[in-house]
Amino acid sequence: MIRFILLQNRQGKTRLAKYYVPLEDSEKHKVEYEVHRLVVNRDPKFTNFVEFRTHKVIYRRYAGLFFALCVDITDNELAYLECIHLFVEILDHFFSNVCELDLVFNFHKVYLILDEFILAGELQETSKRAIIERMGELEKLE
Amino acid sequence: MALSGMRGLSVFISDIRNCPNKEQERLRVDKELGNIRTRFKSEKGLTHYEKKKYVWKMLYIHMLGYDVDFGHMEAVSLISAPKYPEKQVGYIVTSSLLNENHDFLRLAINTVRNDIIGRNETFQCLALTMVGNIGGREFSESLAPDVQKLLISSSCRPLVRKKAALCLLRLYRKNPDVVNIDGWADRMAQLLDERDLGVLTSSTSLLVALVSNNHEAYWSCLPKCVKILERLARNQDIPQEYTYYGIPSPWLQVKAMRALQYFPTIEDPNIRRSLFEVLQRILMGTDVVKNVNKNNASHAVLFEALALVMHLDAEKEMMSQCVALLGKFIAVREPNIRYLGLENMSRMLMVTDVHDSIKRHQAQIITSLKDPDISIRRRALDLLYGMCDVSNAKDIVEELLQYLSAADFAMREELSLKAAILAEKFAPDLSWYVDVILQLIDKAGDFVSDDIWFRVVQFVTNNEDLQPYAAAKAREYLDKPAIHETMVKVSAYLLGEYSHLLARRPGCSPKEIFTVIHEKLPTVSTTTIPILLSTYAKILMHTQPADPELQKIVWAIFNKYESCIDVEIQQRAVEYFALSKKGAALMDILAEMPKFPERQSALLKKAEDAEVDSAEQSAIKLRAQQQMSNALVVTDQRPANGAPSDCWRA
Repeated sequence: MIRFILLQNRQGKTRLAKYYVPLEDSEKHKVEYEVHRLVVNRDPKFTNFVEFRTHKVIYRRYAGLFFALCVDITDNELAYLECIHLFVEILDHFFSNVCELDLVFNFHKVYLILDEFILAGELQETSKRAIIERMGELEKLE
Repeated sequence: MALSGMRGLSVFISDIRNCPNKEQERLRVDKELGNIRTRFKSEKGLTHYEKKKYVWKMLYIHMLGYDVDFGHMEAVSLISAPKYPEKQVGYIVTSSLLNENHDFLRLAINTVRNDIIGRNETFQCLALTMVGNIGGREFSESLAPDVQKLLISSSCRPLVRKKAALCLLRLYRKNPDVVNIDGWADRMAQLLDERDLGVLTSSTSLLVALVSNNHEAYWSCLPKCVKILERLARNQDIPQEYTYYGIPSPWLQVKAMRALQYFPTIEDPNIRRSLFEVLQRILMGTDVVKNVNKNNASHAVLFEALALVMHLDAEKEMMSQCVALLGKFIAVREPNIRYLGLENMSRMLMVTDVHDSIKRHQAQIITSLKDPDISIRRRALDLLYGMCDVSNAKDIVEELLQYLSAADFAMREELSLKAAILAEKFAPDLSWYVDVILQLIDKAGDFVSDDIWFRVVQFVTNNEDLQPYAAAKAREYLDKPAIHETMVKVSAYLLGEYSHLLARRPGCSPKEIFTVIHEKLPTVSTTTIPILLSTYAKILMHTQPADPELQKIVWAIFNKYESCIDVEIQQRAVEYFALSKKGAALMDILAEMPKFPERQSALLKKAEDAEVDSAEQSAIKLRAQQQMSNALVVTDQRPANGAPSDCWRA
């Protein structure tokens, strides 16, 4: 399962953090710091998988943002790597050519999208269309 | 695209971004928190709209890294708001700020339950989502039956049912008893007939969890999984929206194959045949394409198929195909595939007898050991460790030792431990083993635990032929200008016991041996000095006829340490001084150490006891049993009178 999802920029600022396991705030800060350090210095030619404590982190960089998923040791790495990509495609569609600033000023929408995509640490829906349609429904209720 | 209707929030975010430094940011945040706190406490009370705005601000502040404890109550209270916009904020912010260990969350259980069983679909979704993401045991007990009802209700949209499936999954993980197997097994099988792929994806995740704990109850789901796989692999009426770069939901394929790995066998020959057809097609039909995402997705499916093939213990031919594929993968440029190739080769070693085929790729694997990417190095090390046997042990261990000098600290401990274990299990001869361990201590002393050098001493003690060789080697190392403390310990011990065997060699008279050891005394800590004192006493004892000059020097040392503040050192100094004055009688008291009883290697035990999850642990045990060892040094005999403790005086 996915234990947490982090979106961080190159300076280590957290743009999105979703935890599917219970962690106290101090533990979260520690995790965010460690994951950032782990991925920010890795050469782009290296694998997108890196060991983290007793789990692993699947990550990819998109422009100035690092998308990182922490998953169980036995999970399928490539499947989660493409899960990240699917999420980025959804954001890209929703925000029409997404950039970091969109995610900053609309962070609450990003949480909404994420909640349609992943639940309980597992993939909930893999159809971009279904998720975008759902977001449309929700916008009308605001 | 600005936030609709919450100008205050946008302005706040802009303010924060315009702060020139961290100090200013903190000031701005504190100001806002103060404002929010005041408004929350004020008599007037806030409208739901205002609460919504402040609670979002709190989440933003929290994301920046600041504490917002006082706001938990407010976020939770918004969950009870009558209208959707405010309720939504309550649910989402609560999910981010709180977790199952927060007592506050309990206050919301009733409201949440009402939302779940109520008629408002949007509220149901909000509630299911929050419970699915952060629900704990208590939620589990109160809500599981209601969530189950939603999951199987035909009047609920797929939207609700897929959330219900994953919500139930979480509740099950928190308390497995909430899913009553008797009633549920059939329902689960029915759920797998689902047309909507979103619901199917979620239900399959639920299935994986259920089956991993109890496959017996869910046999009826097995054929359904195979059907799902067939449907996807043949792209049989898969809606376009569930196709990812031309591949029908790779994630669902992976999940279905994962579920199948929890059933020990497939009894029905028809089902078995269908499944193997699908797997064969995946194995042989996955090409490398230019598009990165398509490539990753198709290979995600391929690697899961590989894992399933390994699990099903396919015929030899299919297994060789797998090894051939993996052999290709470990040599490609693309790092992810290379990594997975190495990882899966290690897995193959554990389940089937493909040692020989894998050994053909040894050179490539050794190259990977030196890859600039630490993730790949780790996998290569695991694989080398797993594929080591008597025929290639020398080569592999020597590679590991060579690599050790260049390795970074993160890997040195693991490398040392593994090299030591391999050397012990597969040494072609004992003197090579001694060489290897001494080299290890020389190159990576910090990471060589006491277990390792104790073991070397045990073997030398138990093998008379080895003793002069070991002593000579120890003597060589002592000539080096700067050696690790562990080297001093082991050399001193070995020379104490056996240097008399070298007495006629140049540079090995008792006095010379003593001098070269004593030179190192200023460089060691108080834990090593006791060993040195024992060594001096033994050297004296072995020097027959006695050398009065040497005696004088050593006695002076004993005298000096009689007033040492460390109790162990003091005691030894006093006792050795008295004993050594006894002359010939000393021989009996300080006789050579007797042979050690054979027992299980502490190293192997250490590797077993290391924190690994239970699956890995049984794999390690299985591995240890399977590995054929013609080694001279390892034995599983246990002494008849019970194993003595690990402590012995050096």
